[in-house]
Amino acid sequence: MLEIDGIEVNYHHSMQALRGLSLHVPDGQIVALLGSNGAGKTTTLKAASNLLHLEFGSVDAGSIRFRGQDIGRMAPDALVRAGLFHVREGRRIFTEMTVEENLIAASYALDGRGLRPAYDKVYAFFPRLAERRRQIAGYLSGGEQQMLAFGRAMVACPRMILMDEPSLGLAPKIVTEIFTTIRRLNAEDGVTILLVEQNAAVALGVAHYGYVMEHGRIVMEGDAKKLRDDPDIQAFYLGTGAAGNATSFRDVKHYKRRKRWLS
Amino acid sequence: MGQLLQFTINGLMAGAIYALIAVGIVSVFKATRVVNFAHGYLIMFGAYFYFTFAVLVPQAAWAPDWLASWQPGWMMDMREGLPMFSPLAAVLDWLANVPRILLGLAGALLCNAALGLVIERTLMRPLMGQSVFAMIMLTVGLISILSGSAQLIWTSDAEFVPSLAPNTPIRFALFGQTIFLFGADLANMVIALLIFAGIVLMVRYTKSGIAIRATAEDQSTAYSMGISVPKVFSRAWVLASTTGAVAGAILATRNGISPALGLFGFSVLAIVLMGGLDSYLGVFLAAMIVGVLEALTQWQLGGEWAGIVPYVAVLVVILIRPHGLFGAKEIERI
Repeated sequence: MLEIDGIEVNYHHSMQALRGLSLHVPDGQIVALLGSNGAGKTTTLKAASNLLHLEFGSVDAGSIRFRGQDIGRMAPDALVRAGLFHVREGRRIFTEMTVEENLIAASYALDGRGLRPAYDKVYAFFPRLAERRRQIAGYLSGGEQQMLAFGRAMVACPRMILMDEPSLGLAPKIVTEIFTTIRRLNAEDGVTILLVEQNAAVALGVAHYGYVMEHGRIVMEGDAKKLRDDPDIQAFYLGTGAAGNATSFRDVKHYKRRKRWLS
Repeated sequence: MGQLLQFTINGLMAGAIYALIAVGIVSVFKATRVVNFAHGYLIMFGAYFYFTFAVLVPQAAWAPDWLASWQPGWMMDMREGLPMFSPLAAVLDWLANVPRILLGLAGALLCNAALGLVIERTLMRPLMGQSVFAMIMLTVGLISILSGSAQLIWTSDAEFVPSLAPNTPIRFALFGQTIFLFGADLANMVIALLIFAGIVLMVRYTKSGIAIRATAEDQSTAYSMGISVPKVFSRAWVLASTTGAVAGAILATRNGISPALGLFGFSVLAIVLMGGLDSYLGVFLAAMIVGVLEALTQWQLGGEWAGIVPYVAVLVVILIRPHGLFGAKEIERI
């Protein structure tokens, strides 16, 4: 579905954000992309949805193909209409518009595809949005805003969703709800998902496959189950492996192991 | 007190025209964050286009006679024996002009829409993604280009252009006061208000309006909804240039045509700043306030003060509320 091969991304022609990053998202799967702050996860998604040029970034090497087609020359809105929807970091709902108008805005993704926007389906999926459909979206709670962001994605009927930090700033209970939604979108509608998350434990819980990135490149990849069991992942991302025996010697080893990763 | 109502109404009629001009500046700003300094010159082009299609074309040798003056038999019959300044005679005069008025409006709308599109495509779009300031400076440069080329294209002396509605004097009593107006001024106000209301309703209730508001609030997210942001930009420019064409035609019938028409845009820019660059409601109120203030100043202090007092009020409002009466807080300062 999505193939990213050896891309290099620079901001303002000087700051290198991605250096030779490759990743593949096969049809119908959930793929998690993990990494610490500043590793380049969000940049990867923006490169895939062609939004980089709005932030003075550019893909200077490598290629990105969506359903076999090179996206380099496609306008970001055309890419959305081709079925690649990006749920942005921080949800980015239109705060001055009502819930309903936010959903209508997303129906532009259906232009020229002969589909009718399924607002009822969204309201059935998230009854709380139905209650608040005429409210200004800026007044929704964080969880409801995330639901609205998902609702917009559902209206857009995408083949694939790029999902950036859906758990950001949400209470654990809401996070569980959100990830149930992600699993349902994938299982019921067959939507392929590339999921960027800080919360590695939950992300690997729903994903089929995972990539780990550091400093603008992939440093590790594998089946979600394999990653969950990997001692390095446990130590660096899941926070479980090192529990109980955090000696100073172990800290040294930790540092060395991390260094090996980054080289 | 006696004249207060009369001058207030005069002011409201002027204010409606200001609002019609302002709507173009606000629409472009809302969609693109560009303050269009050249809007007054788009209006001037609208006025010249109206002049071309309502006066020059009907006068041309190849134009049919009915275009210049439509005189069907029944109209001649009605005209028989009418006194010189009767209202019916004025209406008949206007009816004879209707073909060229319609041609003038259609021509002005089409040509100005094309002009707006060309400006957006060739000058604004290549700068997308750059600093908005570059585009704003570009509109400043556009002022000289537009005013210079207008003088190159339209060398003939501008003549009288037909007004959009019959210019009959209307007299009626309101609260015991006799009010006196011209039919054309009233019609101009109605046209301006209808267009303004239509645009506000469009932005508020239609799907294209949602696209405009989405683009205004967050451009990159609008892109990721599948909204074609460049298309929204060009629509905003077409909207500005077509409303500008109507405003230009109205101004041409009121004040005559000259390159100085472009200067009108600057006073309206002040009104727009007073109302808040991105608020239709604020700009509407500001236009009406300035219109009425202007008329009242003219009444109490004389014409030479009319150009100053309202704009002092504008300055005071901006000093107290830097983002305008109803503007969003994080507006780019210019």
